[in-house]
Amino acid sequence: MIVCVAVVGHQNNPLYIQSFTEADDALKLHHIVHCSLDVVDERVNNPKKYGPTLNEPFLGLLYPTENYKVYGYLTNTKVKFIVVTTGLDVRDADVRNFFRRFHAAYVDAVSNPFHVPGKKITSRTFAERVSTIVKSFGLSSAG
Amino acid sequence: MGREVSESCVDSLLTEMVSSYCDRFYANKPELAARRIEAIGFQVGHQLSERYTMERPRFSDNLEAIKFICKDFWSELFKKQIDNLKTNHKGTFVLQDNRFRWLARMSIDPSSEDGDLSQDNSAPVTENKAAQATSMHLYFPCGIIRGALSNLGIPCAVSADISSLPACELLVMECIRLYLLSYAHCIAFISTARYSFFSQSRSSCMIIVIFHPCISERALRFR
Repeated sequence: MIVCVAVVGHQNNPLYIQSFTEADDALKLHHIVHCSLDVVDERVNNPKKYGPTLNEPFLGLLYPTENYKVYGYLTNTKVKFIVVTTGLDVRDADVRNFFRRFHAAYVDAVSNPFHVPGKKITSRTFAERVSTIVKSFGLSSAG
Repeated sequence: MGREVSESCVDSLLTEMVSSYCDRFYANKPELAARRIEAIGFQVGHQLSERYTMERPRFSDNLEAIKFICKDFWSELFKKQIDNLKTNHKGTFVLQDNRFRWLARMSIDPSSEDGDLSQDNSAPVTENKAAQATSMHLYFPCGIIRGALSNLGIPCAVSADISSLPACELLVMECIRLYLLSYAHCIAFISTARYSFFSQSRSSCMIIVIFHPCISERALRFR
């Protein structure tokens, strides 16, 4: 189950953060996302340790905390997608699939001529698409 | 998510954009018109590069990014690849397209307005007029390339040169240290790049304008 989704720009500026839990720990999730940015930078700048996945956008599991797992994805334009899940039965293939659909939604949101690059994404269509993708992630992995 | 538009609509839009900016909005200020058109191209290139790099693995260096522009990006935009890519391995690239799609339908009336030109002079003069008239149409693709490359993390300056009408050359210069150059150094840098690259070309008209935020308006008038 995904609890938080974030899009971070290439200067580590947040472009979109959305949490999907009813609890009030949004700040804790933001903190987890922020810490995971360091891990992304380390993965990208140290190719020797993580050889085979050097040029792939999907970075895999970044780090597990006690309740959550954090997955990362780095696009060609240095935009990072971070996903925080409660990781009991999350499969790699599902996360990849999620990131693919999320990337498509992000590209459509950025292609909006009224979107200013570097500023937050304020499109409601994007928010609705993301919540649809998040909901269907939960369903497909449970089945 | 894709809807299709006919190519003639795109051609008409581009022609109208250039003519509006040059004749109506900035009628006596061609440099400003060129700057605005290039800025529009920058935004378009920025967004297109997001879309067209979606399925690809990350680029390991600048040359790969330039090759992406020459092959995949150009095929998506113009249904063909760049015909020739040259580099000096120091951050400058020349992209040559022998039949640039947006110039393919342009022609210049060869008869000149003043009738006292002799036969010997007419060929280079008409080439000059052709280049001046069509150079405004090249700022948009220059902006597209600059936007795409800057989104991939490569700040650069792009300029264009027309040798014979449907063919054009685009010069991409990475400006890693450009912000440290003073105005005088900028001019020297631009001139050496010009002469080293275009000494063999047969073009009689050199119109190179470099757009970069650190270059002042005075530099733009240096041609």
